[in-house]
Amino acid sequence: MSPVPPVLRLVVRNFRASLDPITLLVMFGQPAFLIVILGTMFNQLIGSVGTSSSYVAFLVPGMIASQMITGAVLAGRIFWLDRRWSMVEQIFCGPFLRAEYLAALLLTTLLFSLVGVGIMALVALPLVGLPTLSLAELAVILGTIGLGATFFGGLLIAIGGRIRSANLYFTIQSLLQYFLIFISTVYYPVTAKTPVVLRAVVYSNPLTYAANTVRSAFTHSFGTGDLVAGEVLAVLAAVAFVAAIASFRRLEFGPVQ
Amino acid sequence: MATSAPESIAEASDLGFAYRPGEFAVRHLTFALRRGEIFGLLGRNGAGKTTTVRLLSTLLPPTEGGGSLFGRELRRCGRAERARLGVVLQSESLDFVSVEQNLRLYAFLWGVPRELAKARAEEMLDLFELDALRLRKPWALSGGERRRFQVARELMHEMELLFLDEPTVGLDALTRGRILDYLARRARDGLAIVFTTHILHEADRLCQRVGVLQDGRVATIASPAELKRRHGGARTVEAEFDRPLSPGERSEVDRRLREKGDTFAPLEQVDVRLVFRARNPEDLVAELARWAERAGVGIERIAVREATLEDAFVSLVGEGPGPEDQPTGTLT
Repeated sequence: MSPVPPVLRLVVRNFRASLDPITLLVMFGQPAFLIVILGTMFNQLIGSVGTSSSYVAFLVPGMIASQMITGAVLAGRIFWLDRRWSMVEQIFCGPFLRAEYLAALLLTTLLFSLVGVGIMALVALPLVGLPTLSLAELAVILGTIGLGATFFGGLLIAIGGRIRSANLYFTIQSLLQYFLIFISTVYYPVTAKTPVVLRAVVYSNPLTYAANTVRSAFTHSFGTGDLVAGEVLAVLAAVAFVAAIASFRRLEFGPVQ
Repeated sequence: MATSAPESIAEASDLGFAYRPGEFAVRHLTFALRRGEIFGLLGRNGAGKTTTVRLLSTLLPPTEGGGSLFGRELRRCGRAERARLGVVLQSESLDFVSVEQNLRLYAFLWGVPRELAKARAEEMLDLFELDALRLRKPWALSGGERRRFQVARELMHEMELLFLDEPTVGLDALTRGRILDYLARRARDGLAIVFTTHILHEADRLCQRVGVLQDGRVATIASPAELKRRHGGARTVEAEFDRPLSPGERSEVDRRLREKGDTFAPLEQVDVRLVFRARNPEDLVAELARWAERAGVGIERIAVREATLEDAFVSLVGEGPGPEDQPTGTLT
């Protein structure tokens, strides 16, 4: 038997086999581009935002948090392509458990998210400098990214397991991606002036909690709200994970469109 | 559940699967596969061949009955049993890297050591004539090349039981022959193979036993020879004359052959060739020779072809009546 555990073998395969460089460039390039352009342009117009010293300092933690969506989208894409090209079926015929394939997908989501976090941090470096983070703050950021990646990855896998049409899957994925990012605090804060309905919608979005927590870590301003946010994310991640398992159990093989 | 006999590698015992409640894709399947045996699964489209492969490879859990794989009940089989299987799916399965990388990545997934994987990839690229295509992405291959690639990829790892779901679709005769020869060699070394195909002479050539599925149930299990004997029906006689027969001469032949009393049908004439089918054609051939001598018609050649597996299959699962059920002495 191989000394490499089955989950890691599947993760290596996910990275090596399922994604082309252009997809990766677009997926990670777009948020990096937004940090540079959006950050620079709005920095001219907007001063400090809440506890952040500038708009770009506000934007960067939000974009870092949004990488959990990028990771989930990439993992969801791998899963969909595996279904489309019968690799799910092929892998399930092999020496793997379904739980291992699911775990590998979620681990892939997390790793892609962390790669995205690294890229965003590097791109932001000339704009905001090196953030001074304590170990605890770093752990909170990584934990938040981990929970968020599990939630969004689990959600897309659960959806992908029940749908047999590529058009429908990618439409849902695109809608989720853009709605979740725009109806959150990634680009702008929620203030007392924000309309109540919009505020309610923004606070029903898990990405809001993740963005706020990462931002609190960057500004050394953790509060009880961040603790609650962490707990909400953990519960949502668990729910999405269970949904993904249920979807896997009922996974139908055979052609998808 | 039936207990596995020592030589049995997989068993189905009243095995059934319904994709929806009450809608069985297969039902009451009972058979055993032996080590080193090549077992053919034949059947019309939708007969349940792929579902049977999915059940025995543990991809689907039985909804009725049971079975075993390497002595373990099917529902309890897991990684250990699947590690001893190889499965070539009917649908195309591939990763988005080159042919060679696909082979090596698949070997990595199966835990094949790197050096062994490298050597085996070279062997498979050569055996399946993929060497010149090694740098191509699988989606840039033709249908037949992709099929070759898929079979080659599955053979990258060790296994004791190999399921091949229509592995030779789209392959040319030479490549088919090479693959079948290779599989026969592997079977002689102890590999058990379950093989589904619509190319029946392949099954005839390769399989020790075939199971014919009809509407999700096993219609029969027998060796190809036994199946041909039991269900092959009539043998085909081809007579070639030195000139085309006139309508009167053909009617005369028809009358004389019918008088011999054997079942034969249908009789066809194409130019100088006369073709008919009969269960015991020897008497008819002799009668034809006597008639030709009296009528002054020269016989260039007479050949009697044995019933094929296809004849037996059509007779067994065909919608229309088999040759033995057709009216005696009908001329067309």
